[in-house]
Parts: sequence; C-alpha cells; structure tokens
Amino acid sequence: MANGLVIRVLPTLEPSEPHTFVEPIKKIHESQDVSTFLTSKAYTNIMTWILQLNRSMFPVKLADDTIQTWPLNSDAIQYSAPVRQLQRLLSKLEDIIQEVPPDTGPRRFGNISFRRWCEVVESRASNLLRECLPADLLDKGSSNGGLTAETELKSYFLGSWGSGQRLDYGTGHELSFLAFLGGIWRLNGFPVAGPGVEERAIVVGVFHPYLELVRLLIKTYNLEPAGSHGVWGLDDHSFAPYIFGSAQLSPAITDNDLTPEEGSLENAPDPGGVANANIVQRERRTNLYFSAIGFIYDVKRGPFWEHSRMLFDISGIPAGWGKINKGMIKMYNAEVLSKFPVVQHFPFGSLFSWDRDPNAPLPPSTVHATSGPQARPVAPDSGPPSVAGARPMPGAGTQSVPPIGSTAAPWAGMRREGVPPSMPSGATRAPSALSDTSRMPPGPMAPTRAPWSAQPRPSHSQDGNADVHTKAPWAK
Amino acid sequence: MSDLDRAIEQLRACRLIPESQVRELCYKARELLIEEGNVVSVDAPVTICGDIHGQFHDLMELFRVGGDVPDTNYLFMGDFVDRGFYSLESFLLLLCLKVRYPDRITLIRGNHESRQITTVYGFYDECIRKYGSANVWRYCCEVFDYLALGAIVLGASSELEPTSNPALSSMPIDDSELETEVLNSRGEVTMSTYRARQRSSSDASTDSRNISPPRDISAAPGQAAAPLRSGAPGTGASGDGNGSAVTSRTGAVLCVHGGLSPLIDSVDKIRLIDRKQEVPHEGAMCDLLWSDPDEIEGWGLSPRGAGFLFGGDIVKQFNHLNGLSLVARAHQLVMEGYKEMFDGGIVTVWSAPNYCYRCGNVAAILELGEDTSGGGTVARSNGEYGRSNGVVTNNRVVSPGRRYRVFEAAAQDTRGMPAKKPVADYFLT
Repeated sequence: MANGLVIRVLPTLEPSEPHTFVEPIKKIHESQDVSTFLTSKAYTNIMTWILQLNRSMFPVKLADDTIQTWPLNSDAIQYSAPVRQLQRLLSKLEDIIQEVPPDTGPRRFGNISFRRWCEVVESRASNLLRECLPADLLDKGSSNGGLTAETELKSYFLGSWGSGQRLDYGTGHELSFLAFLGGIWRLNGFPVAGPGVEERAIVVGVFHPYLELVRLLIKTYNLEPAGSHGVWGLDDHSFAPYIFGSAQLSPAITDNDLTPEEGSLENAPDPGGVANANIVQRERRTNLYFSAIGFIYDVKRGPFWEHSRMLFDISGIPAGWGKINKGMIKMYNAEVLSKFPVVQHFPFGSLFSWDRDPNAPLPPSTVHATSGPQARPVAPDSGPPSVAGARPMPGAGTQSVPPIGSTAAPWAGMRREGVPPSMPSGATRAPSALSDTSRMPPGPMAPTRAPWSAQPRPSHSQDGNADVHTKAPWAK
Repeated sequence: MSDLDRAIEQLRACRLIPESQVRELCYKARELLIEEGNVVSVDAPVTICGDIHGQFHDLMELFRVGGDVPDTNYLFMGDFVDRGFYSLESFLLLLCLKVRYPDRITLIRGNHESRQITTVYGFYDECIRKYGSANVWRYCCEVFDYLALGAIVLGASSELEPTSNPALSSMPIDDSELETEVLNSRGEVTMSTYRARQRSSSDASTDSRNISPPRDISAAPGQAAAPLRSGAPGTGASGDGNGSAVTSRTGAVLCVHGGLSPLIDSVDKIRLIDRKQEVPHEGAMCDLLWSDPDEIEGWGLSPRGAGFLFGGDIVKQFNHLNGLSLVARAHQLVMEGYKEMFDGGIVTVWSAPNYCYRCGNVAAILELGEDTSGGGTVARSNGEYGRSNGVVTNNRVVSPGRRYRVFEAAAQDTRGMPAKKPVADYFLT
C-alpha cells in the first residue's frame, strides 16, 4: 500500500492445509495466568480483530473528497451472504424468547427462565450453526479424523449470551461473541473484499443486532451485570459499542491514513450529548455509542451524571471522538482483556490459541490481573499503597506489586511493521493508575460474589459437586 | 454547636467533611466500637434496616419514614458502602450519628465493609475521586474491622400497637393480636395480619386483611399475600392465658448481615470470634456476612463463592436452640423491600430502593415494638438456651410483632449537574 501502511488483519487458515482443532478449554485459573494470556496468540488475534473492526467503522474520505459515514441504517453497507445468515441466526435466538417467557413466580432479580433459554439454545446449537454456516466450514478438520471447527465455534457461540447459572451478562460474554465472529473469519467464512468492507458489515449487520438481542435478553430476564462497578464502572454490561460507536463519529480517513487519535467527524454530535435525553434518542438510531447510552436511559432512573459517572466525565473530553476512541481501546485492553474475573472464562482452542505468540514481548507483570483466587485477605493494617491513584491490590500483603505505570501495554512494541493504526508505536502504554473504573465481575444488583472465587462456589467446599449439601454438625 | 454536630449537619446536606475530620471521626468510632461485643444487645423498640449501598438520598428518605436519630433507635445491618454514588456521605453520616448517639444507633458489619470488596465494587474508587487519595478509604476500612458482627434484640413485644387507620375501623376478631403490619411511606397501612392470642396452635385463627394488595413475593401465587402463621417455630403455645403458667414469650431476634454458618450452632459461638480483622474468605465470620437462606434442606454451596446457602430446617433448629423467634438479615435484594421465609423464622430486610438506579424495587425497614406488659422481661432470652434467670422454661417463643415501613426511591430532580471531572488516564494521553 501507499506509504507502506499495513493494516494488520486477523490471519485466516489456509483452506488447502489440514488443521487440527481442539476442544476449547479454560486456561486462566489464577490471576498470574492473565499475564500469560497477554502474550498468547489468542490475545494477539483478539486485539487484531477488534482493531480491524474498529478501523472499518471510521468514516471514509472518498476520492472526490466527499465523506462516507457508516450509520447503523446505512445503505452504503452491503451485507454478504454469511452476514445475512448470521442475522437469521440471531432472529432465531430471539424467537426462543417467545418459547421461554419469563417466570412470573417469586423472584429476586434475575429471572430463572433465562436458565431455560440457555438450555434451549445449547440443545439446538449444532442445528442453529448448521443452518447458518456452510457445512465445509463447520466440518473442517474431519478429514483427519479429529475434532471439527464446529467444536471451537460452538464454544464461543454458547459463551456469548450470559450466564444461565448466575443470571448475568457482561463484557466476557461480549468478548466471546467477538471471538465467535473472529473464528468464522479465521475459517474463511466471510468473503474477501476491500479493506473494511466486510468488517463494517459484520459490525453493523451482525454485532449491532447481537447487542440488540442481548439488551432484549437483559430486559426480558432481568439479567444482572456481570462486570461492573455500579456508578464507577463504564457500563453495566457492554464495552465494544463504545469502541465502534466512537469510531463512527471520528474524523474520516483514507486507506492510507493512520487511524486518527483526536478530532471528530464534521457535524458529529457533541460528546456532551450523552447527558441530554433528546440527543440520545436521536443519535441512538444511527450510532453504536449512543445506542448503548440509550439502553442505559431505558433501564436506569436518576441523573445520568450520577448513575453513569464515567461516561458523563468522558463526555467532557474536548479532543473529540477520535480521542474517545483511542481511550476506549486502551481502557478495553486494561479493564476487560487484562482482568482476571472477565477473561478467566475464555476458552482456548486452535483458533484462539493459548500458545505463546513469538512476537509478543516478555510477559508483563500482572498488575491488572487482580482479584484472582490466589488473593488472600490482607492483614488489617495493610492496605493499598498510599500512592495517589495507585490501584489497591487485593492481597497486597502477600505479593509484591510492581509500580503500575511501568507496565507496558501488552500490545505495545509488537507488530513493528504492521502497527495497528490506532496504536502509535511507543506511545501506547498501559494506562497508569487511572482513578479506576470498571474492573470486576459481579456488578450492581448482582448478588455480590467473592472476587477471590474463580468458580462461583465456596472455596471451602469439600467436593466440587454443587448438589451435595454440607451438613451442619448438629443437623439431624 | 459542637464540631460533631456541625459535621452531622454538613453530611445531612450531602456535603463531605474534611479529611482531617474524617480521621478524627474514625478514631473516635473505633474507640467506641472496640468496646462493643461481637453481638451487641439492643433493647426494643428498634428499627432494623438493611443494605444502603451509598444511596444517600434514599437514606434521608429512610430517616423521614422511620424517624430521625436519636428519636428513633436504629439498627443497620451493614452494606453501607459500594455501588452507589454517595457511599462516603452515607457511611460518614451514620458513623457521626454513632459517635454522637452511641446508644441510639447500632451498626453491624456487612460483607461490603471490607478492603477487598470495596476495591472491587466502587467505594475505593469513590474515595479516590472525592478525596484525591486513599487515606479516607483506609480510615474507613479500619473502622470496618471493629464493627460488630451481629446484634440481639431483646424485649420486643409480640403484639403491635395498631396504627390508626380509617380503613380498619374495628378491631379484628376477638382474642387476636396484631402480628404484622405493612405501611407505605405516607404511613398508611396496606396490610395487616393477626394471630390468636395465647391459644394452642391447633385452633389458632389468623386473619389477613389486604387493604391494598402489596406486591409481596414472599407469598406463593394465589395465596394471601402475607405469610400466615400462628406462632414462631416451636411454639406449641399452650397456657391458659391466665398468666399463671404462661411459658410462651417473645423470643430474641438475631440480626446479622448475611445469615447462619455451619460452624456456628449458638449465638455464644459468635461471641468467641476474633472479629477485628479483614473479613476472611471462609470460616464462621465470613459465613455470617455472606450466607443466604434458600429453599433447600440443610446447607448448600453458595453461588456467591463465599458463605453458604441454608434451608428452613437449619433456621428452625438454630432459632429453637437459641431461644430465638426470628433471624433478621439483609444482603439480598428483595423487590418488596422485605421477605419472610420459613414460617417467619427469618426475614430479609432491604433498604436500598430502586437499587443501582434500575432494579425498580421498593425498600423497607422493620420496626419492633417494646414489650410494655411487664411480664415478658423475665423470660427474655439472651440468646442462650435454657437459661433465663435460672427459671427453666420450655422454650416456647413467640415471634415479635413486626411493622414494615415500605418506601420508594427519593425524588431525583432536585440534584444539580456537576462539572465534568478529568477522566481516567486512558483518555488523557
């Protein structure tokens, strides 16, 4: 390309070469494993995929100097056959809600019928995938008698809808769906097209309807936030729409431009509009960012600045949507991909592999990967370091904590020749000691879960069987 | 006006006090709390409150509905902080009130009063945002370590003084007493239940009057909204009503944030815990702050990853062995603000309306009246089995009369929009 700008894209499998698929399994068992994850091929692929989708959503400066934007209702985005099939898949999942109406009996918050919805989806998963994806894609791998691609795709597909057990939904599930789409991409399931063409069809034509379905699930079954900090988190459930939505409103680019890091599309709504209900209602129809904000307006009562403080503060950023986009990606990397409670559930197979990426920097320390099961109660007089802004480390008493600012972002310094455009080389470091936002798993109204618990069960259980009740010593 | 009174006034206006004052306040609070046992004894009348979670304006609504300190005697069952926007204002106000009126307000520890949990669920972030450093967070956490683990309410009356209500013009059935009453935030009775006075349970008649059907999820569909029952677990309720051989009495009420523990079979065992520490990940202290009642038998693993689930049989036995009539706890959102389970052996009280700005739930507080009959004091349980002033009783306990005041979230529109603050580093460089 001109200027030698290489936009890195998620690598696809060579169709003619045999490939060995493996059953995706969890590899992140304690917080230290997060640093291994950050040097894995899976991590590189995930970040590459997200940046690839992100770039495709920036408005494009055409040869005649006109600007092509990508609103959600855009006629300029053509949906390929696979995109249409995935839309059909999503609408079938929506139909299952009709089959499984919310339980009307006594409840706390999360509706128990969601468990049944998940069971139905799981029981039909193979058929649903077969109706949507070509057989030769799903059956890839069968020629050498091993597992097929379907095994891996199904794992991410089923991880995309929230937890039937905990009746919650969060960014980890959103990540799983992005991996599902990335897996299809890696399997050559999307047609080859010009830069960004298929990607933006995926974002607008599949990912946005996915978010709409998820919002319907959240409202129908009262799903609790799986990854939020109440008023101090970015959003109770989602993250990616803030990335792609800010890209939609950033300055226009050509294929040869680096992804902008500040400024806004001309005539873009002011970021401050998120605090104005009328502007939100208008913009949510065309923009992913405002669409996510609109959902907050739908479900929350009270002043926006109070219940969504992080988003409110971001809305005051003077440097435009490009700046917001860049910040969102950094924040996603730190607060989603680097957080043990979120990524612990991610399963690794061959498409997203636990193997070390040879190009990855040495494993960084695990400063972001807090609250793992290794964390022990701290001594009463020990607390977070008194450095202003430094993150408290649960378990600080038992582990040495490197200075947070010194940790290089895992994606910094890699891909020298194909630097992802939105990642200016060298300029990207892990956010230092932000005054803290997102973070953990169980969110707001979710029953508080112990952050040291990898699995939702007591660490002192004598066996792993949730059906066995420990008897009290005095119980008859 | 003392500094403390000034601080109270300032916090009531939802304005923070200076860091130096927080430090002093926390020091005084610790000196006070260190003198309290793990299980604080509280005399009725008392108003029992559940989770607050930094919902300051709703805490003000709670005081409006339940009365102010010190006029009303309060018992807060923990989870003052995290998730809401005003954890600091809420907790510091409660702490000021505790220091100012130590005998009129009791604070016990919730699972969120912990270093590890507050770094995950928002209170730490809030301290950094509002004070610019972690100092105040640290002071508060030091106070958390000294909070009591539970409370025993003694001397509650089995019968409520009926709230005057035009809709209930006449007294109910003869020989019955008002057992529970639910009031809305305007003080109007929306539901009452009665039980027979000192009768054998076999012919106990109950009457439930629904004036406006409350959204009570504690009742199964199709059933009357209030849990109907004729007495506390183990209440055979014989006695001839002449008082000569009356052995029934109002049992004590144990208040704890979460629930029971398989390691705790008596209230005395709670007293043996060394509580002045961060909440452990397991063990008795952890369970008291983390466990939940559930429709199971025996004990179950908790989906929370800490504490246990416990069934109605566990509650019955625990209450029976300890001469308790009721366990009051918080810890779980209930859409109706309160929820009685297991024939009234345990109640969940939840005091954060429209939790997290979106749950749409109402909140409740539980008032227990004082037993003024005079006869009941002898038989007051102190939570120990078979020992009430040396008099052997047959351990028949009657549950206290319970008045729930239900309220909704405070009006929102009066709060002004603040300036946007510099955001996290992600967006600055």
